[in-house]
This record gives sequence, C-alpha cells and structure tokens, in this order.
Amino acid sequence: MQKIAEKKQNVEKTVDNRKIKLSKFKREFFLVLTIIIVGVILSLLTPYFLTKGNLSALLIGLSAEGFVAIGIVMVMITGEIDLSVGGIMALSSVVAGSLILSGKNVWVSVLLGFILGSIMGVINGWLIGYRKINSFIITLAMMGMTRGVAYILTQGSPLAIGGVPQSFESLGGGNLFGLPTFTVVFILLASISGFGLKKIKAFREFYFVGSSENSAKLTGLDVPKIKMRAFVLSASLASLAGIFTLSRFLVATPNTGNGIELRAIAAAVIGGTSFTGGEGSILGAALGVLIVNLLNNALILLNISVYWQNFVNGLLLLSVVLIDNLTQKKSD
Amino acid sequence: MVKKFLFFLIVLLLVVNVLGTQNPFQGTKDETYYMVTFLSGISFWKACFSGFEAAADMLGVTAVYTGHPTFDINGEVTVFNQVAAKNPAGIAVTAVNPDAFVKPINEAVNNGIPVVTFDSDSPSSKRYSFIGVGNKNAGAAAAHFVAEVLNGKGEVALLYSIGQGNVEQRVQGFLETIESSYPDIKVVAKVNDGGDQLTATKNMSATLQAHPEIDMIFCVDGVAGVGGAQAVKETNNVGKVKILAFDVDPAVISYVKSGIIEGTVVQGMSAMGFWSMMTLYLLHHNLVPEAYIPSFIDSGVIIATKENIDEILDSQGLTPMGLPKKK
Repeated sequence: MQKIAEKKQNVEKTVDNRKIKLSKFKREFFLVLTIIIVGVILSLLTPYFLTKGNLSALLIGLSAEGFVAIGIVMVMITGEIDLSVGGIMALSSVVAGSLILSGKNVWVSVLLGFILGSIMGVINGWLIGYRKINSFIITLAMMGMTRGVAYILTQGSPLAIGGVPQSFESLGGGNLFGLPTFTVVFILLASISGFGLKKIKAFREFYFVGSSENSAKLTGLDVPKIKMRAFVLSASLASLAGIFTLSRFLVATPNTGNGIELRAIAAAVIGGTSFTGGEGSILGAALGVLIVNLLNNALILLNISVYWQNFVNGLLLLSVVLIDNLTQKKSD
Repeated sequence: MVKKFLFFLIVLLLVVNVLGTQNPFQGTKDETYYMVTFLSGISFWKACFSGFEAAADMLGVTAVYTGHPTFDINGEVTVFNQVAAKNPAGIAVTAVNPDAFVKPINEAVNNGIPVVTFDSDSPSSKRYSFIGVGNKNAGAAAAHFVAEVLNGKGEVALLYSIGQGNVEQRVQGFLETIESSYPDIKVVAKVNDGGDQLTATKNMSATLQAHPEIDMIFCVDGVAGVGGAQAVKETNNVGKVKILAFDVDPAVISYVKSGIIEGTVVQGMSAMGFWSMMTLYLLHHNLVPEAYIPSFIDSGVIIATKENIDEILDSQGLTPMGLPKKK
C-alpha cells in the first residue's frame, strides 16, 4: 500500500517537474528580457552605461558573487543550504595570503588555501549528509568558525601581498578576450556546471535527492555521498572566489565576502532555484547575479542614493517570489 | 560730438572686457565632483561631505556623495570604478584599503580624472594629494591637553585599537610629546579596546582596578571614548579619573556636556571635504601646476570641551547631538 502511494507521489512529482521545467524556462526568459529592458533604458538615460569602463567594473564586480552562486544553486537543488561560503572565501584567501607572506611559493600557497577551503565542504557534507544534522545550523556554525579563523590569523588587519608573479596577478586582475579574466572564468564555470546539471549523472542526482530524498534512497542512490558532493563543490567554488579576489586586490582581509552568502542565495532564488529543493538553474542564478548588480550600477549611474541598494535588492527578490506564488496559484 | 562718441566707445570697451573676463573660480553646474566612501552610513563622512558641498556651492559646481555601506573592498572599488566611468570632474575617495585602491585610482588618473584621497590614504597610488589628519600631530595636541588638565604631573592610561595604523600613529605622537615636554607624566598602561565598546569597557575597568593611581585616560579612537567613559562610571571613578576622547560619537558628546569626559579630539572632517573639493577644482581647471599641489594637506584637529563643543560641531556640519544637519 505504502509503495503504491509512493509511486503515485513519484508520478505526480514528474508531472510537477515538467511544469517546473516550463516555468523555469519562462523565468530565464523573463530575466533576460528584464535585463535587456533595463540596459536599454539605462543607455538612453546616460551615455556612460555602455562604456568599456562601466561594463568592465560591472562584470568584474559581480564575478566573485557569481562563483559562489553556482555552488549555492547546487546545494539548494539537493534541498539544503550553505551559509558558510563567505567565511570559506575569507579563510582560503587569508590562508593563501599568509603563506605567501611567509615566503612560500605563490602557487603552492594558493593551492593550499584552496584545498583547506574545500575541506570545509567535506566537513559540511559529513555533518549534514552523513550525520543528518540541519544544514542551516551546521553551515551557520561553519560560517562563524571559518571567518573566525580568518580574523585570528590576521589579527583583524588586512594582509598585503606584494612581489607576486604577473601570472598570478592576471588571474583576478587581468583581461582575456576583452573581458576581465575573473568574469571569463565565471562564465566558463557556469557553462560547465550548467551542462553538468543537464547531462552528467553525478550532477543530475542533486535533483533526485532534492525532489524526494526518500524516493532517491529507494532507487538506490547514495544520498549522503551526493549531498557531500554538493557541499564540496560549493566550498571549492567559494575558495576559488577567495583566491581570485586575493589575486585581484593583492590583499587578504578577514571580512572578505561578508554577506555574500545571502546575496548568492537571493540571486539563486531570483534565477528560479527553489528553496525546498529539486529545482534550480545555473543560468538563472547567473542572470540573477547580473540583474542585481545591474540595478546597483543603475543607482550609481543615475546618482540615486546608495541607501536604496538594500531596498531595491529586497524588492526585486520579493517581486520574483510573489510572481512565483501568484502563478502557482493559477496552475492549482 | 567726437569726444562724446570716443567716451562712449571707451566705456563700451571696458564693459565688454569686464564681461568677457571669466572668474577662474566659478565653475558650471554640469561639472560634477564625487565623494566616494566606505561605511557610507556613518555621520563622520556626512561631516566631511558638508565641507565638500560648501566648497562646491562656493565654486558653483555639483557635488555628489556616494559609496558602499560596508567595509567590503569589492563593494567600494566597484562604486569607485563605476563613478570613474562617468568621467567626472574629480573624485575624492577615502580608501577602505590602501593597496586595493592603487589600480583603480591609477586607472582613473591615467584617464585624466583628478583623484585625491582623504581620511584614509592610498599612498602608493597616483592620487594627487591626501587630505587628512596628521595623526602624529593629533597625538601631540592630545598630549598638550592632557598635560594642561593634569598640571604637568600624573599617571595616564591609553585605550585604543592596538595594531590599527592611524591610531598607532596618534599614540606615537602622544608618547613622543609626553617624553620630550612633560617628564612628570607617566604612561602606565596601554589597553586594547578591541574595536568594540563592550571589550573597551571590560578591559578598561580591569585596568582601573589594577592601577588605582591612574589620573587620566586618553581614548585614542571613537570606540574607546564610549568604552572608557563607561568603565570610569562603573568603577565609581567619575571626577577622580579624567578622560580625553576622540571623535564625536553622540554618546561621547553627551559625556563631554555632562562633564564625565573633559574633552574630545575633533578631526577637521569638514575641512577634509572642503580642501578635497578645492584641490580637485584646481586640478580640473589646470589653475595650479601639478607639482605645486601639496601631497599632504593636514586638515587639523581641535580639542572640544564643554564650553565650545556646540560651536565646533556646528562648524563640522553637525547638530549639538552630533547628527548631520539637515539641509
């Protein structure tokens, strides 16, 4: 009896997923349209929007957030949340910076910082996937601990790294094909992850786990391992964001990435990722990151007080969620 | 007839000449100068902007205040870069981190935009000038005030964010002046305020218990002022232990007015903004050769006491409560 009920649930979920896929496509289309409209309006209102300087600043400014958002989408698809990404970003950047200052080779230092940050993902994954502890609480605690270590290592002060090879500097600070390298790498990572989520089993399993953990387990999927995978990817992307930020500014500060977790989550949700799991889009999240930063850019271009930033970002998120809510009611 | 005509011609020529001569210190409203800060919500910058704006009004140009609400480097750099992309007449920026701002400032300067820093400098950058408080001089001024209050003799404690660059410079200035001019004043304790009021209060209270002979505390930054006063109150030392604070946090202002704090070192915030605008204007209009722009303009400090604090606050564009004046 139970099995039949569950099978019925699975069929319903498949139908739901098809509905969701359609609305997901509509969401991305809606975001692209909004971005184009905002872009056109801005270019009419000010001649400075479509300048190399402004677009460069816009793109490089959103890139770290972009890296983090990719990881957050994958975690959220599995039905979990990761609040520790900002702290991990600070930790990896500070550890790399400290090692560089102690005389170690730049690339070795950076690798070690990256690995340490990724290990935080392993810890998250173990506690959440295997010990089955609530992800909000665990990643909240990890957020405190990773950022705390960053503060301890730096004693609160920024670490300026100098005399690094040009090859390292060009990661976060250089240009490739006319765009900031930081942004090109973001686009690359987003494309790979987006493709992975559509075609590669190891990524598609995130959706199954997020849609119904029980069903996933029953079909023989190793749920804890899949969750671990998501958290490690999220932590690795956050660490990479920290390393690129270190390269860009040549400074490691303990408050790097403060608040980035909430911005990335907002971008993911704006892009169509569901808070309850089973649904998410990298393209959507990337568009979400773009639209939020575009609106902030508009505030600066139009000389509107920067205090409107928080309000506008919150309003955008609310609007998107409301639209979701209203359109869902219709299909019910 | 000819004489009348010649006279008329001369007057006409003079009038045309006068009308034709432009006052080099009058700009136009479409000339826009930006002030970019971090922690854009705090009243400190508002006081700086009041001076920036006053100069703008005087010069007939437009001043805009912008920035990023937190300490985030990426946040402030992004705002700076996007402002620079608007090709403004000039930018005055307070750098949340000196190294991170080198590239952005250099790029702006290379694109022909005059840039100055104020309050927090980026010394390795191509900024034309840094307008700010000479921290060592501020420390020295504080030392003279403390010596005056103590009549040249007594034991002093310092409360501050140990390790923070600009604050350490103030401490250095203070210690050097005490050593050279006031041999009967001894600094018996250097206490860490940890950057927050609770830590400041806790650490200072402990120090006061351990050193009952302390006559005065020099609170070298804004956080210390509130924490130090709280510690003196809680250890029942009001009147026995005097305090010199720094900056004009509203709580510090009320302590000065109630007498718990003897005086507070007020940075020339408004002057920082004023001289930033003046320097940018001179650069934008090529009125002074670049080599003659001072690379450091000391905007100075005044020590405010109960008697003159309202006047000083007013001069900084602040109300008697320490809040920015509404335009």
